[in-house]
Amino acid sequence: MAKLYQEQYVWRLPVRWYHWINALSVTILFLTGIYIATPFLAPSVGEATWYHMMAWIRYVHFGTAFVFLANFLFRMYWALFGKDPYARFAGFKPWNPVWWGQPFKDQLASYLFIRKKEPNYCGHNPVAALTYFLFVFCGSIFMIFTGLAMYSESNPDGFLNGLFGWVIPLFGGSMRVHTVHHLVAWAFVFFLIVHLYAIIRHDIMDRSSVTSSMVTGYKTRVEECPEYAD
Amino acid sequence: MKKQQTYAEIMESRGIDRREFMKYCSLLSVYLGLGASGLPKMLKAMETKPRIPVLWLHGLECTCCSESFIRSSHPIVADIVLNMISLDYDDTLSAAAGHQLEAVRKQIMKEYKGKYILAVEGNAPTKDNGVYCMVGGDSFLNVLKETAADAMAVISWGSCASFGCVQNAKPNPTGAQPVHKLISGKPIINVPGCPPIAEVMTGTIAHVLTFGTLPELDRLGRPKAFYGTRIHDKCYRRPYFDAGMFVESFDDEGAQKGWCLYKMGCKGPTTYNSCSSMKWNGGVSFPIQAGHPCIGCSEPNFWDNGPFYSRLAAVPFVGTDSNADRIGMVAVGAAAAGVAAHAIGSAIKKKSADNDNEE
Repeated sequence: MAKLYQEQYVWRLPVRWYHWINALSVTILFLTGIYIATPFLAPSVGEATWYHMMAWIRYVHFGTAFVFLANFLFRMYWALFGKDPYARFAGFKPWNPVWWGQPFKDQLASYLFIRKKEPNYCGHNPVAALTYFLFVFCGSIFMIFTGLAMYSESNPDGFLNGLFGWVIPLFGGSMRVHTVHHLVAWAFVFFLIVHLYAIIRHDIMDRSSVTSSMVTGYKTRVEECPEYAD
Repeated sequence: MKKQQTYAEIMESRGIDRREFMKYCSLLSVYLGLGASGLPKMLKAMETKPRIPVLWLHGLECTCCSESFIRSSHPIVADIVLNMISLDYDDTLSAAAGHQLEAVRKQIMKEYKGKYILAVEGNAPTKDNGVYCMVGGDSFLNVLKETAADAMAVISWGSCASFGCVQNAKPNPTGAQPVHKLISGKPIINVPGCPPIAEVMTGTIAHVLTFGTLPELDRLGRPKAFYGTRIHDKCYRRPYFDAGMFVESFDDEGAQKGWCLYKMGCKGPTTYNSCSSMKWNGGVSFPIQAGHPCIGCSEPNFWDNGPFYSRLAAVPFVGTDSNADRIGMVAVGAAAAGVAAHAIGSAIKKKSADNDNEE
């Protein structure tokens, strides 16, 4: 039995840009965030006026956070108003039982080794879409709200505090907000491992080239086709 | 009911001349964060407002708030604020006791209905009808509700009354609840801290007494003038934080040189209070200046945000005390192990699929 390969343009430029800016900023945010919580590199001699280590790392963290936020808002715009069938929210309806139907069950069954055949999807497969919703969408919103609330603490009468200051008492104090922000940061690493594994696995299992599709935009559609008899 | 004296009259009768009175008013307006423009308002209030009685209740507490209050450092403020308050009921400071004292409380509640201030030190246990704190034969829960019913405003002294403090730390065996969860429909000012700074207490009560209104409060009901910024924002060791120069243990060189105590568990970055600007004991010092990290005593749930000497808060995780990093690493480790196992499964699946294709 031979296989038929067909190239299809799935990830348009805005999606790819979002993906890589997001990947880079989350990496920087995680590493600088870990440093801010546990400053492991520290000058051990001299005067405070010589260094600016923590201030600099915090500056990078906050600067990157605003890039991350702008990028996220751009992606939300694209998901809501972009004319891009593979990047829109329109298809993602977890409140509708139909969404949890055959395609989702097939994909989950194949991940759980219950189903032999690996299904193919042009856009996100439903199980992947669910993890993106939970980790990337919900995770980003959580980090944005808690992050901006903590950022606004340095100016308690400022504009940002007016918008996000209510988050602090919601969690029962500034320390609690720091703790949950730190905990959810690890969820992104958890997601990263699962995500990297899943895309590489897909490339090997079904040759759909998901990995390179985030660079080129093209996914390969794989279909079984009967061999031609001479 | 006899004619009520104004503050100015009381001070005059105590031999304080006009000059001293003016000095006190300007000092007080600075304390309250009113600035120069607040002075005329302050003078007017002092000359026209009658003295307001204060009922000071003690619930589940350690009296550290009272101890702090009576040590208000500035002699003028301490003297006059204590004179200003017509402290008609305080079961710790009163000479009278028992039925006599309770009668005074009842009398004030009747004579000054809706006009007296209720200051609460400590909180009330709610479990088993509040039997874990009894005052004069009744539960403190009932006494508090009864006294608050006709009060003009309630001041919650300290972290106990404001947020619950150690009494309602997990597992909170007596069901202790802070005042704002027990009293509704009354203006409540939270003055947290274990104890609060003396000048913050006198400043807050002076504001209510002179103006008859509440000071500007933040989202957690704290006076903005004193709880507007974090200790970290005005800490004199902040340059060491920004430089990344941290004390690693209590006897290292950094500790001797006064570096930042962040890694020793300092809660300054998450604690709203005036310690780093007003300091304690008349501006002598405050914990960080003495080389000890801030424990965040004026924050909600501060006992449950420990440990005191670690920057990362303890997070209960499957029955152990863990922290965000440990939980994160366990989750990531589990993901890696799961992925490895799944990869083996996938390899087997792929092998069998390839075999099927070859057949």
